[in-house]
Amino acid sequence: MAEQRTASGPIGARIRRTEDPRLLAGQARYLDDIRLPGMLEGAVLRSPYPHARILRIDVSRARELPGVFDVITGAEVRELAAPQPVIWQQIPDQRMPESYALPTDRVRYVGEAVVAVAAVDRYVAEDALELIDIEYEPLPVAATLDEALAEDAPRLYDQWPDNKMGQHTFTRGNVDEAFTQADVVLRETLYYGRQMGLPLETRGCIASWDTYTNQLDLWLSTQGAHVNRDLMGEALRKPVHEIRVRVPDVGGGFGNKLDFYIEEVLASLMSRRTGRPVKIIEDRVESFVANAHSREQRMEVELAATSDGVITGIRGTVWAVLGGRLSGAACGPPWLSAAVMAGPYKVPNVDVSVVGVFTNRSPIGSYRGWGQPEATLVYERLVELLARKLGLDRNEVRRKNFPAPEEFPFPSTVFTYDSGRYAECLDLCLSGVEKNGWKERQAAARAEGRSVGIGYGFHVECTAFGPSRVLNAVGVQHSGFGQSVVRIDSTGRVTVYTGEVPMGQGIQTALAQVCAQSLGVPIEDVTVIAGDTDSCPYMGYGTGGSRAAALGGGAIIRAAEKLKKQIRDIGAHLLETAPEDLVIENGRVAVSGAPARSVSMAEIGNAAYRSVGKLPAGQTPTLEEREVMDPEDLAWAYGCTAVLVEVDRETGAVKVLDHLIAHDCGTVINPMIVEGQIHGGVAQSIGGALLEELVYGEDGQIQTTTFMDYLVPTATDMPPMQALHMETPAVHIPGGIKGVGEAGTIAVPAAIANAVDDALDDLDVTVTAIPITPPRLLAKIRAAQEQQS
Amino acid sequence: MKPASVEYHKATSIADAVDVLSSTEDEDAKVLAGGQSLVPMLSMRLARPSVLVDINGLTDLDYIRRDGDWLSIGALTRSRAVEKSAAVRDAAPLLSEAMGFVGHATIRNRGTIGGSVAHADPAAEAPAVLCALDAELVITGPAGARTVGANDFFHGFLTTAVGPDEMLTEIRVPVLPAGTGCAVEELARRHGDFAMVAVFAAVTVGDDGRCTDARLALAGTNPTPVRAREAEAVLVGSGLTAETIAQAAQAAAGVTNSANDIHAPAEYRRDMASVLTRRALRRAASDANVVV
Amino acid sequence: MASKVTVTVTVNGRTLSAECEPRRTLADFLRQTLGFTGVHLGCEHGVCGACTIVFNGATARSCCMLAVQADGAEITTVHGLADGETLHPMQEAFWDNHGLQCGFCTPGMLLRACELVEEFPDPTEEQIREGISGNICRCTGYQFIVDAIRDGAQRMRQTS
Ligand SMILES: Cc1cc2nc3c(=O)[nH]c(=O)nc-3n(C[C@H](O)[C@H](O)[C@H](O)COP(=O)(O)OP(=O)(O)OC[C@H]3O[C@@H](n4cnc5c(N)ncnc54)[C@H](O)[C@@H]3O)c2cc1C
Ligand code: FES
Ligand code: FES
Repeated sequence: MAEQRTASGPIGARIRRTEDPRLLAGQARYLDDIRLPGMLEGAVLRSPYPHARILRIDVSRARELPGVFDVITGAEVRELAAPQPVIWQQIPDQRMPESYALPTDRVRYVGEAVVAVAAVDRYVAEDALELIDIEYEPLPVAATLDEALAEDAPRLYDQWPDNKMGQHTFTRGNVDEAFTQADVVLRETLYYGRQMGLPLETRGCIASWDTYTNQLDLWLSTQGAHVNRDLMGEALRKPVHEIRVRVPDVGGGFGNKLDFYIEEVLASLMSRRTGRPVKIIEDRVESFVANAHSREQRMEVELAATSDGVITGIRGTVWAVLGGRLSGAACGPPWLSAAVMAGPYKVPNVDVSVVGVFTNRSPIGSYRGWGQPEATLVYERLVELLARKLGLDRNEVRRKNFPAPEEFPFPSTVFTYDSGRYAECLDLCLSGVEKNGWKERQAAARAEGRSVGIGYGFHVECTAFGPSRVLNAVGVQHSGFGQSVVRIDSTGRVTVYTGEVPMGQGIQTALAQVCAQSLGVPIEDVTVIAGDTDSCPYMGYGTGGSRAAALGGGAIIRAAEKLKKQIRDIGAHLLETAPEDLVIENGRVAVSGAPARSVSMAEIGNAAYRSVGKLPAGQTPTLEEREVMDPEDLAWAYGCTAVLVEVDRETGAVKVLDHLIAHDCGTVINPMIVEGQIHGGVAQSIGGALLEELVYGEDGQIQTTTFMDYLVPTATDMPPMQALHMETPAVHIPGGIKGVGEAGTIAVPAAIANAVDDALDDLDVTVTAIPITPPRLLAKIRAAQEQQS
Repeated sequence: MKPASVEYHKATSIADAVDVLSSTEDEDAKVLAGGQSLVPMLSMRLARPSVLVDINGLTDLDYIRRDGDWLSIGALTRSRAVEKSAAVRDAAPLLSEAMGFVGHATIRNRGTIGGSVAHADPAAEAPAVLCALDAELVITGPAGARTVGANDFFHGFLTTAVGPDEMLTEIRVPVLPAGTGCAVEELARRHGDFAMVAVFAAVTVGDDGRCTDARLALAGTNPTPVRAREAEAVLVGSGLTAETIAQAAQAAAGVTNSANDIHAPAEYRRDMASVLTRRALRRAASDANVVV
Repeated sequence: MASKVTVTVTVNGRTLSAECEPRRTLADFLRQTLGFTGVHLGCEHGVCGACTIVFNGATARSCCMLAVQADGAEITTVHGLADGETLHPMQEAFWDNHGLQCGFCTPGMLLRACELVEEFPDPTEEQIREGISGNICRCTGYQFIVDAIRDGAQRMRQTS
């Protein structure tokens, strides 16, 4: 493995996770495992229409059903709550339709919540939903992007003249000149289908509102404890000290659990009205309409280049197919697509717009990758198409356009990339491909008449999201800093309190490794506490944007530095030596070169809390440091993915035979966890590239609401995967840590599209739509065959 | 996703089950076998029977028996048992192979062959393979048992010859003659999914190398499983050559009649019927020791 | 409303009895009525495998059964795998190989893996992948699960 360094301490060690034993034993506690005394269970009635006026809602029969405690409608919500907050306002003058947890007059997508019920259990709650009568007047539907953009399109919001939510353009240099002077111009329209994160545990919440103290206790299956507390405060017009959010074990997030939703507001209101805790679990069928959708974009792009393959300009438009209302993430992911459209390349002239368009579909929100897989599909397709057109080696074209390591910090269109060795990363990937004999496998397969291709995708990944001032500057109405508290107790054990939220990504272990290394204690002595707004320090945003290791870890490193000074002072006093002479290793504070003269961390802890008389004069008791991590700028990870695929020319079916990624996420804290993150991301994007699509009919009805229709990859769909690590330290993060949460996800669809083209190179097929379903690909193959004959 | 209220009756005998089925007024009692299709439908409230007649206690419906030229399988036999049975592999290897495509191991542990057939999903393997094998299905009702040929059993999407007061009790499969080669070709989006298109082929080859019998059934292409009779006719009496196989494959595409759905447009299914028929016939021929 | 029924089941060797409506799924009965929350619900329509239990000796989806049907049955849930605080060799292998992330699919995956190894004591990669294809994991991409099962099988061969 590349740059495999032998870890001398916990950082870099391939150790198994501390989280696991209880998960393995079935002793985890996920949201739905929590049952409070007197708890009610809720269910939500959802619109069967893509677009309709609500004429009348009659809930009287539902209220009378034995076992039903509350039925709440939009009119009642409006009296008790404020509109749902939208924190992503990065498009200047973006249209912001005011929407409450429940609508009163109109529904704009199938599955939009209309009425909620709380009853003794979910069975009765669902019985009650069947007793609710709603009279709708169906309205004309804008089911697709084109329908929504049409001259005479039905409008989703009467107050605006069209369905556009907003538009923003990123420019650099002189793009018109670049295109006039270009030797070659490529033009493509690429479509990325609607997909979603689909954690195996669906979203859920429990709200318990004590009407005497006004205290609202929330348990949320979420990626952001503090941000959700603040947004809940906004939605309920409630001071946040009256709200406590706890996050139990989370069964996967993938961005879907980052956004603020409506069900937690409804559970809170119904708890307030009934005086009972209320749980609402989104069931799987609901999840396909109520959970954030993502990805769907049409990207019309042009690339200008010289005849020797130097890219001189990109221009185009990202059409974002938004839903019937705005999620908290609004048009954020498509905006990021447009912002990073130049990818890892030096593109001097850029003119890329993002246009958000409301349609009668579920709202768009966060999903792992967050606009970057879509952008990568564009720039990595265009680079290979350019090479094809010019008859150049595709990776030579890539190499030619990379910034050199000494050009970092490298200012791209919108963001500045902190550090990188792109060409080296490409080489590492290519040497992996060579070592694994893919070329030979391809040649052998072709000799048998099989269509096997190799494809590449080089990506950049925005990580350590994010520096508050950067966030605010791009229009995010929230901070992004991280925060950790490191405490040594009276027995010398260490507890880390972090604002980051675990969701299966292994941060308890990773942060314990960082802390153990930074303090010089055994990892077994470190406990990480997370997911509670009362005990954990405030953190901006939520745990998304590949940030937990970088911002959570960075804060720990700094807090540990300060703590070590105190430990040394106490140790020096106890050992009657100077602090500078001490080393802290493996939980002992020892005189350098004389290990026999040492005290244990337990003795230090005892002095700090109990035998305070042993402290040096002037030293305050207790041992605890708090550190806010609000870096100056983001950290940009990157990687080069290669895939080997086989296409069945008769059926259009594609099988991924092998996968490899060379990547750089800065300091690798635990290679096993990093690889796990990559594998999971690859699976989601192989699903995205070949299987997964949220399909709407012409009538605006969603047709994929079960695991039988929305196809996520299973073990037989996955190739073996390999990750080669490089470590170029992040510039703005202590410890040099970048993020890795999205590394596996971003480039795979582009790489697969490139590989499919390669497998069919004799036909000159160009894949332009994701997912690449068998009928879609077969149609392309047939068309190419006809053209040839 | 929680079932609506329902009564539950655990059947003590076939007669008892039929009794309950025929005594509900709205004729909406439902047999509960493996539950792999029915319970999800209950949870989604797509099925709302007033009473469930659980036949899982009827161990006398759980058997695989060879009686001379017939293989008899009780309706409650688990799909996994059919898949793994040596008697089935011996008498009707096409059925063994087909059952391996039904969902996943855990689904087959519990799901029954009778349930699969009675459920009549047009993309399911068991109905189509039984059509290919000219199986007979024994239906028991208040008036006793009657037998319906598999090719007359499936009336439409999720509808069969089984009346509301009846149940499927046995599946009878004629043993395939010696010299028969079999193959299943299935195109599914993922391993274990219902078929987009599946072809079940059995060809019997005489001593002279000519095809004496051919059975081809398709799943996923029509509202019910279908036999590709014209394609079979192309093969019977001729040698299994690349040409006849191609001709048969062409003919097989002609029987398809599907609507567009999220996984494929109709014409794709038609084309795949032809591609898979060709592949299935080639493999079946080679299984019968014919070199194409 | 249908009248309640009493259901008696033996779960992980302990016989338990409780009342429920006939419509209650076995998964809800195990989770909510009897407290075996290691039985997870990922879809409630038979596809994901998170609710997998061992029912009278074979794996089954507990979301595709009604509790009444389990009367008199022997059930093993993930809680029945470990021997006190000693993890089952398959659990150890999952731990060592990073065969889990969020852990939501893990109970079903473990029970299916053990059944698979009963059938194939030394499974090939293909047998493993096909064997767990009915269990969805959204976190791991399956590679480390496959590695874990191969390793777990070897440990189980050694201990038996
Ligand atoms: C994830 C998953 C994947 C699957 N994949 C496939 C697949 O690839 N191919 C496939 O073919 N199937 C597949 N299935 C369906 C599975 O095979 C079911 O087991 C089968 O369709 C129904 O059998 P059952 O015994 O479970 O019947 P049940 O679910 O109990 O019943 C199904 C229907 O048949 C009726 N019924 C059952 N038995 C009788 C009887 N003896 N007489 C009269 N009526 C009866 C019931 O009343 C009900 O209407 C899948 C299921 C799942 C959950
Ligand atoms: S919850 Fe039972 S299979 Fe998904
Ligand atoms: S570990 Fe999260 S679903 Fe498998």
